[in-house]
Amino acid sequence: MKSPALRDALFGLVAFLVLAALPLLTTSSALIDFVIRCAALGLFATSLNLLVGYGGMVSFGHGLFFGMGAYSFGIIMQRTGMPIPLAILLTMAVAAMVALAVGAICVRLKEIYFAFVTLAFQMLVHSMIIAWVPVTGGDQGLRGGIPRPSFLGINLADQKQLYLFSAALLVLGLLAMRHIVSSPFGYTLRMVRDNPTRAGFLGVDVYRTRLTAFVLAGVFASLGGVVMSLFVSGAYPEFAFWTMSGEAVFIVMLGGTVAFLGPMVGTVLLLLLNDFVTRVAEHHGLVLGAVILLFALGLRKGLLDFVMDWREARRTRAQAGSAGKDKMAAADKMERVAT
Amino acid sequence: MDLNALTECLVSTSCIVTQVTSGFIIGMLLFLVAIGLTLIFGVMKIVNFTHGAFYMIGAYLAMTVFQLTESYTLALLGAAVGACLFGIVVERFFMQRIYGGNVLMQLLVCYALVLILDDLVRIIWGPEFKSMGMPDAFRVPPLFIMGGVVPPFYLFLIAAALSIAVIVGLAIARTRFGKTIRAAAHNPSMVSVLGINTGLLFTGVFALGCLLAGLAGGLAAPVRSLTPGMGFSILIESFIVTVIGGMGSILGALVGALLIGLIRTFGALGFPLFTEALMYLAMAVVLIVKPSGLFGREAA
Amino acid sequence: MTGTSLRSMNRRGFLVAGAAAAGTVSMPWVAGAQAKVIKVGLPTILSGRVAQLGTSSRNAALLEVEKVNAAGGLAGRTIELVIRDTKGQPQEAARVARELVNSDGCELLIDAEASTGAFAVHEVARDLGILCVHTNSETSSLSADPKLKLANAFRCARQGIHDSVVGGTYAAEIANAKNLTRWATCSPDYAYGRDTTAEFVMYLKQFAPKVEVISEAWPKIFQPDYTESITKILQAKPQALYSCLWGGDLTSFIDQAAIYALFTQMQFYAVNMADYTALTAVKNLPAGIQSGNRYIKTFPATPENAAWGDAYKAKYGEYPTNWSWQNALAVNFLAEAAKKAGSADGKKIAEALRGLSIKSPFGADGTVTMRAEDQTIVGYAVGWGTTIPKEPYVPEMKSVPWQRIFELEAEWKKSKGFA
Repeated sequence: MKSPALRDALFGLVAFLVLAALPLLTTSSALIDFVIRCAALGLFATSLNLLVGYGGMVSFGHGLFFGMGAYSFGIIMQRTGMPIPLAILLTMAVAAMVALAVGAICVRLKEIYFAFVTLAFQMLVHSMIIAWVPVTGGDQGLRGGIPRPSFLGINLADQKQLYLFSAALLVLGLLAMRHIVSSPFGYTLRMVRDNPTRAGFLGVDVYRTRLTAFVLAGVFASLGGVVMSLFVSGAYPEFAFWTMSGEAVFIVMLGGTVAFLGPMVGTVLLLLLNDFVTRVAEHHGLVLGAVILLFALGLRKGLLDFVMDWREARRTRAQAGSAGKDKMAAADKMERVAT
Repeated sequence: MDLNALTECLVSTSCIVTQVTSGFIIGMLLFLVAIGLTLIFGVMKIVNFTHGAFYMIGAYLAMTVFQLTESYTLALLGAAVGACLFGIVVERFFMQRIYGGNVLMQLLVCYALVLILDDLVRIIWGPEFKSMGMPDAFRVPPLFIMGGVVPPFYLFLIAAALSIAVIVGLAIARTRFGKTIRAAAHNPSMVSVLGINTGLLFTGVFALGCLLAGLAGGLAAPVRSLTPGMGFSILIESFIVTVIGGMGSILGALVGALLIGLIRTFGALGFPLFTEALMYLAMAVVLIVKPSGLFGREAA
Repeated sequence: MTGTSLRSMNRRGFLVAGAAAAGTVSMPWVAGAQAKVIKVGLPTILSGRVAQLGTSSRNAALLEVEKVNAAGGLAGRTIELVIRDTKGQPQEAARVARELVNSDGCELLIDAEASTGAFAVHEVARDLGILCVHTNSETSSLSADPKLKLANAFRCARQGIHDSVVGGTYAAEIANAKNLTRWATCSPDYAYGRDTTAEFVMYLKQFAPKVEVISEAWPKIFQPDYTESITKILQAKPQALYSCLWGGDLTSFIDQAAIYALFTQMQFYAVNMADYTALTAVKNLPAGIQSGNRYIKTFPATPENAAWGDAYKAKYGEYPTNWSWQNALAVNFLAEAAKKAGSADGKKIAEALRGLSIKSPFGADGTVTMRAEDQTIVGYAVGWGTTIPKEPYVPEMKSVPWQRIFELEAEWKKSKGFA
């Protein structure tokens, strides 16, 4: 019997090693760029799924924290030149504070109203970014490049090293979020999602649970923003625009909300679709729209969720005959209910 | 910030007349789009992100019909009927599959439809912006009412939108269709148990919403430039309107739309750089104080 | 706890993600470089609100590339344009630009992106060291701010400050003659709108000291309705109005302002009016709008310019835009520089570009120069005139000698701390 956390860490390590080995197999910088973008958007989308999938809170304003991460990090680096790890921690702290303030107001609201108020806050922050020209550069974004001084022998101005660094951040970020959702807090969050009233009776502080999830999601979204700002060496108001939130919601739906790695699958899928379709089709809205329709109306759930349900159905059929495995199936079922 | 301009305006009748009427114009077009949104949400419980696309289709149809026939009446008719028919097709083929489903999947389907419709418009009418031009009947000098400037076309626009509001309001209050709609919004399963064909009812509500959105597009076409994707900004503002007014409430949509219109016109005087932010601020404040919106029922 | 389906599924989740990522290895991203062909990347906006401008950039570049290839290409190598849509998003612009260089094997970039995208591509050029010619960003700081300067980045587009010098001079002359002292402005609320308006007003006041700006309206870019701005301006009762709204926004504004009879109450100065797309889109264009030139085939009034505009129209069925001539000129500059350098190598072309003057239909005196000190073009045709609602739209354009523009530009740079 191994500890689940240890297993997750092991998977993380393997995943990182595979990613780290990738540059040895290919010389394609486009593939490297692709993985860096996956890291940025994957962290962002997975953090959103903390709210959507595990918390049942559909936020339309999650891009606020992505943009916040990119801008805070960029501004800190341009103005102070502190070591990058410190700047990242500071950025996450800033995001946590903002998430605490915004969340304190938003998480009381239900469903669509929660969605709209988060959207409103995002648009407020977007307007501030546009209007506060001396600090943010206004609609032209943070210009002049983000300095990337070496630290601990790591030079992020080098694309390969930035790649490794992003892959490491991605794996660490995912592990941390994985740890959160499998912790007792994660189970409380799911209970609040499924039946807040009952959770309340059981002595769970619903408001506090939601707020904690909101803050955590904001912090990891800002980490995604940091990776993106490192990639483009700048920060742009589009990062904090509602379309960014829309994209994350879209990714989460595409990949699936139940499986932890659903949003990651969605990220890879969307980026592949995007890169491929914009390359070959003039009317990519038409093509992309048709593909999405096929997904949404055909699968009716995210890809990874669909695959897992399909496998589950197959296994259940296979197990129907063998009574000896009953016990395991029961354990399985319990675990799934808890998820 | 320019609070002087705002206070100067508030003590001058001519300024108040001009700003209030222009606030009404902005508000009325928003209202026509918002009625559909709020009805569709009220009855089918889906957030119809495709609604802006019907506004766009209405505007383009109006332009085409106007160019062919030179009659603005026919253009408006074409816009409303065209958008309505198109709405029926979309509802039958796509929307019916997602009622009662996962909210996220509903959004995904709507998003895909918006992408497709925008591109279809681009293919049919071209990517460049178009302008329909003002019908001859309205190409007349503006009126002066108590010193304020009011263009006759806008008077027509406000009158048209207001009468539609009254007609729709009465229809929903008095007719059988209206009563069914209200009942369905209140308790859909009961309506279905009573033997009412909910499928047909849903199509009807969706078609009505699209008709009004198309009409709004037709009314806006003479003064707004037409581009693929033009539905989006109006969609976002209409959402703000419905959220402020309370999802599902027509009266709320009216009040919300006028509020947004007035915020825009008076905000432009007092806070020229923050007019947009003011709308979002208004929405946030309303939701925080009364989460179901000004006229929304609790526990929405 | 026994081994549970949850965790094993997640392991498979990882595998699925890994397989999807591995699948990309086989995608045709690695392009082999062919020595005979030189690939030139052109990221631009082909979807969304400004797709029309991106398309016109692409068209013009293709038109010129055809001619250059017929004449032997870049130092003997045939140009192949690789055109990609960036959707007008900066992160896409950065991604696409990197991909064009890293995997499509483009050796030169023509960055046909608007403002924020151009800055994003600029950073890519800094990272990769590739020769990059910006063709559509008019933001002065892109080339004027020494902090942004790169040896390998050039701008082949008009510049806000040049427009403002000419516009301010032109407007001030009329303001002095007709005693127009009360002015209002109505410009889109973003960097281009704010900077261009501020610079125009600065020169207007410098040359017509009695002018005061009594009202400012700042609608959002792509706003559908300008009624609130229009009524605000009407309240202030100015004698003249300046606007740098453009494209569909400008035509909406004109349609909406016309029904308030705004144009009978004041003179209208719209720097972006004299562009065929806007001129032809407005159905009932009020006569007498003052405008700067964008692209107009009658200015400069030379046979070469008219021939170029007609050739473009013959091929694409519509007149070129402001973005068209800038991209065409960029291709011409690259071709001339390659000829001068005797090589298609980016570094050598960059060296040859600095200070290069070429003959061009778009030049004020038949030539345009890539100024060496800030690597941006000067000497292009820039003028203002009164529009009429039918061809030739602007019968007469007035200009300011470039020598005068240089003097005023130098003062402006000093005041900004750029020089």
